[in-house]
Amino acid sequence: MAPNRSWKCAKCDKELVLKKMLFSYLGHTFSHEIMRCPTCGNGLIPKELAEGRMAEVEAQLEDK
Amino acid sequence: MKLEESKAYVDDCFNGEPASCSCACPFGIDIRSFMERAGKGLWIRAYRIFRDAAVFPVIVSRLCPQPCRENCQRASIGDEPLALRDLESACIRYAINRRPEKYAIPPKPQRVAVIGAGPAGLSCALNLAQKKFGVTVFEKEPGWGGALRTHPDFPAFDEDIALQFTAVETDFAFNREIGSLDELEGFDAVYVATGKNGSTFGLPAGRDPELMTTSRPGVFMGGAVCGIPLMESIAEGALLSRIMEAFFQTGKATRPDSDSAATPCVHYLNHDGEEKRPLVTMASPDGYTADEAKAEASRCFRCDCSACRDSCEMIEWFRKMPPRLGVEVYTDSQAGSSLSKRSLTRETYSCNICGKCKSVCPVGVDLGALMRFSREERFSAGKNIPAFHDFWIRQFDFHSSDAFFTSPPEGRTTCEYLFFPGCRLGAAEPDHVLKSYDYLREKRDTGIMVGCCGAPAFWAGDKKRLADNVERIRRLWEDMGRPTFIFACAYCKNIFTLMMPEIEQESIYSLMAADQSIVPARPFEDAAVFDPCTARDDGTMQESIRVLAERAGVAVAELENPNRCCGYGGHMRLANPALYDEITEHRRNASDKPYIVYCANCKAVFREKSKVCAHILDMVHGIAPGNPSPTLWFQKKNALEVKRTLMKELTGEEFVPGKNEWDGIRLVIGPELQEELDRKLIIEEDLKEAIWRAKQSGEMFLSDDNVFLCSMVQSVLTYWVQYRELDSGEYEILNAYIHRMKFNREG
Repeated sequence: MAPNRSWKCAKCDKELVLKKMLFSYLGHTFSHEIMRCPTCGNGLIPKELAEGRMAEVEAQLEDK
Repeated sequence: MKLEESKAYVDDCFNGEPASCSCACPFGIDIRSFMERAGKGLWIRAYRIFRDAAVFPVIVSRLCPQPCRENCQRASIGDEPLALRDLESACIRYAINRRPEKYAIPPKPQRVAVIGAGPAGLSCALNLAQKKFGVTVFEKEPGWGGALRTHPDFPAFDEDIALQFTAVETDFAFNREIGSLDELEGFDAVYVATGKNGSTFGLPAGRDPELMTTSRPGVFMGGAVCGIPLMESIAEGALLSRIMEAFFQTGKATRPDSDSAATPCVHYLNHDGEEKRPLVTMASPDGYTADEAKAEASRCFRCDCSACRDSCEMIEWFRKMPPRLGVEVYTDSQAGSSLSKRSLTRETYSCNICGKCKSVCPVGVDLGALMRFSREERFSAGKNIPAFHDFWIRQFDFHSSDAFFTSPPEGRTTCEYLFFPGCRLGAAEPDHVLKSYDYLREKRDTGIMVGCCGAPAFWAGDKKRLADNVERIRRLWEDMGRPTFIFACAYCKNIFTLMMPEIEQESIYSLMAADQSIVPARPFEDAAVFDPCTARDDGTMQESIRVLAERAGVAVAELENPNRCCGYGGHMRLANPALYDEITEHRRNASDKPYIVYCANCKAVFREKSKVCAHILDMVHGIAPGNPSPTLWFQKKNALEVKRTLMKELTGEEFVPGKNEWDGIRLVIGPELQEELDRKLIIEEDLKEAIWRAKQSGEMFLSDDNVFLCSMVQSVLTYWVQYRELDSGEYEILNAYIHRMKFNREG
């Protein structure tokens, strides 16, 4: 699997840009920069993020 | 939740209570900890434990009559008791720093007069001075020591006393005999410790044995003048300083809750089978060398109950014993409030709730029940972690709705028996249900109910979901003329025992074992029976399996430590994946032999761990045990197929499962990825739905090599699917993953 595949938004046909996104879990909310479509705002979470840092933060919030 | 509620689960636990030797010790020395440190050669730390309790370590190490030795559990297996005094002497000798600590606490205004500088008076004076009370010791002799002044070892005792008093301020008035208590006006309290045959200043000889008070308020009496032996006289001094402290604070002498006085030992551990180790003898009469002392100290059993921890990876993982967990379940319930920020999430949801701890506990403490209580409380308070249990709750809902089916035998409205195979049996292997039911109804008037007992709700702490399911089953049972339930899963049987005790029970295995016409196939020449945790108290079920296996010609081996949970119990897998891996690995390796199992969950776990195993129903129905576990999606299809077959046979109706718009989507998933998805509990149909929804909305990402990536929020999880569209019209799945956090693109 190519880890550095470059993605675009298929709906808007736009290259993605790094932009803040609001995340929430178990009543906690915070923002983090991820790749998003500049037009529709849809955000992309890569597997490495989901199973890495995000999973860590999820566990921290669960233990709060 | 009240603290008492959670503590009630562990109240009987005696972990951490003093060992029998400490119970007998006048000073209540924590001998267990002392021995642990001494065994490692941590002499300063061992010395401090000893000194803090014994007040004058040199005196005690030479003169204590050692009641501890009469209560040493080494003796219970015929060994010589630990040589306590020799070890105390060794630690005095080898502790390179014996200087007493100075306590940085402010001086207190009260002044105490101690009459007599013997062991009792000195101990009280030292303890009061450490608490920063003003203390004056009056002694008619020219120096301290009392009756010990004539002892041949007095020079050593003298040095010990001087050392202990170096860190405190105390006034000693030697050569000063007190003739009357009236001379002591201005003192807030007086301790009469005048020694054997000493003056009682006209006070009645009697004193309150608990509080050491006399008939005159503020005057206490103790030590040899009251006939108290030497060691107890020293120990009393420490206790009295605390009683006086309470007296100063409240005007009333009060004994502290935790005092060190010797108490009878209530719980003894069984040391049968422990290795015998003889007393370490001294090479020189001067005392133990450091190595000898370490060897002697390490003979100590350090008696403390750890039966639950020894039998449970979860308790070992968190290193928290029942008394602590009992308190923390309460503090956890207060987490987030101003009272407590401590959370017990991981512990609460890591428990298999298998009952092993209760079965090995000498007093039957059930930590699983405590953890279930915690889960229920958290669920009720909305403090549960939905992602831990969502997968199984969805499975439960599926088996209680789409896949649920019940019917009396063909043409009947009631029945004597009702086969309840459990939701996982038919999902894993339809023939386990269908062929078993064919067998049962051939022999007796038997209907069937395929559904879920409610274990997922039970484990999630979702009391309402569980109760609704119970209510529904009970109603159907009434409608069918109150049949006896025949179980194939020990967990279902247990849930029924707990929730629906009025329903008569039977196990399919005991019926089959009693039927000589059943001769199961023999997949292995020899095998170990892996009894599920839930069959622990069901001897009949356990024996039935052995009867069937032996009838098949299998040489049956027993596990050394049976009835431990395979790892599936409690649905702890998502809450603590690493612990789940450890537990399942341990169970897998509990025997080199293949396993015979009789729980569908055990089988699923062992299949996943590539452990050769056969379900007893595989053997009964001649099903090859080598088949891999069906994928999660196939398990759902199997459950629907079981329902379709039964409905057709029993009611003549055709079952048409509900259709989804994404059913037509065809996926191609490589075996490695499939294994990964099953491990992450990602079901194929969720991928189909995600793709279908993305195609509807157009919301997806596309890479320059024509790979698509889309996401879908389903219940409490967000699913991501990476796929390629094939010319065949199929979708090749390249990757799929989930996360629990949600994101909000409006942000």
